[in-house]
Amino acid sequence: MSVLRLGYVHARVTDMAEAKRHYGDTMGLYPMLEEQGRVYYKGWDEYDHHSLVLEEGGVGLVKLGYKVADPADIELYEKRAEQFGCLVERMSTGENREVGDGIRIVLPSDHVVELYHEMTLVGTEVGTHNPDVFPRHLVGVGAPRIDHALITAEDPGLADRFFREVLGFYATERVATSLDDDAQIIGSWLSTSNTPHDIAVIGGPNGKLHHFAFQLADWSDIKRAGGLFAMDDVPVDVGPTQHGITRGETIYYFDPSGNRNEVFSGGYLAFPDRPTVTWTVDELAKGIFYIGRELNDRFTSVLT
Amino acid sequence: MPTVRVQPDVVVELRAEETVLEGLYRHGYAYRTGCRRGGCGVCKVDLVSGTVRYTRVISQAVLTDEERASGTCLTCRAVPLDDVTIALREEELSRNPLLAFLCGASPSTRPPSQRATGRPTPSIPELPRGDEQR
Repeated sequence: MSVLRLGYVHARVTDMAEAKRHYGDTMGLYPMLEEQGRVYYKGWDEYDHHSLVLEEGGVGLVKLGYKVADPADIELYEKRAEQFGCLVERMSTGENREVGDGIRIVLPSDHVVELYHEMTLVGTEVGTHNPDVFPRHLVGVGAPRIDHALITAEDPGLADRFFREVLGFYATERVATSLDDDAQIIGSWLSTSNTPHDIAVIGGPNGKLHHFAFQLADWSDIKRAGGLFAMDDVPVDVGPTQHGITRGETIYYFDPSGNRNEVFSGGYLAFPDRPTVTWTVDELAKGIFYIGRELNDRFTSVLT
Repeated sequence: MPTVRVQPDVVVELRAEETVLEGLYRHGYAYRTGCRRGGCGVCKVDLVSGTVRYTRVISQAVLTDEERASGTCLTCRAVPLDDVTIALREEELSRNPLLAFLCGASPSTRPPSQRATGRPTPSIPELPRGDEQR
């Protein structure tokens, strides 16, 4: 029983034509389906039908989908979420294109998380028989997969508890007001796999998105993505640099609607028995941007 | 071309279709901005006089109709229709001395609209056709 990974991010964009140029031509995601004002994308190394859904109208996050390992898990998570005090509703096959039955949970922070076990398996271009190591005709950044999302919550400690107690995530790192047991959590990075984070939560308004991230192979791919951002006039927020938290390499940038994206690579291999790292607030800037050790105004204030 | 005056006395001239933010940046001026793509509202200022239009869709969550009507200007997306005067909100304009020196120079890159951002169409390169006479 477990949550496998972040399966999809469903976000709003103000202008679909511009969004398609960004996510299709610059990021190099594969457009899988366009229907009723929504466009579905996947990265080249993702087997399921899509990992990003764009919807025209507004900005910010509609919902996040997490894929569970076993169909029986869903009922258990449903029970636990209800016990935690969340609003939970069932969703049936077809409510989300190519996604099977599942549940929809409204978090204490007003974010919507969907759990599902099945999504149409479409495979990858390189296939599963003697595959090549990457598809030959990647476009732009050619992002292989979605990685994680960072959301904001008025009570990040409660969100941390939700992901651990309801969904079985483990906290890899936290930012706390002190090292004491009764310290307040003001940020939490949580994993349900072996990546350093499948979700992260920081203090801020409920229901908001700070960013969602695409995983790249390594530091040199991050640099190459930066080159493409320059060519395509993509506004960069911060980077390329390295995080203290997760140790990942990064560039933060904005999509044409102002939603923050990240390209992320590296980071340590995480396991559930890994002791949780604690950062104190006075070292927060080093935790977020290890090399520059400075948080710009924009990074902390721009949310969609 | 329209001008932008930033209270009290900075005036810059814009190019066609240039936003307030782009014009001020090009002349070496800077102030607090966010996504620069109309999504966050960090670069809002007060529109003291003049009119702007928005050539792109702006989310109501970022700029409400009431704000538009009462003189809030989202500078990264606002294109002046005539000479406008704006007032920054609780901050001062800063200026990069190097850019101030360079701002009279002509643009060294193609405007974004002329850049190739489309998905390339795979095509067979045109090779010399030695066999055309056959």
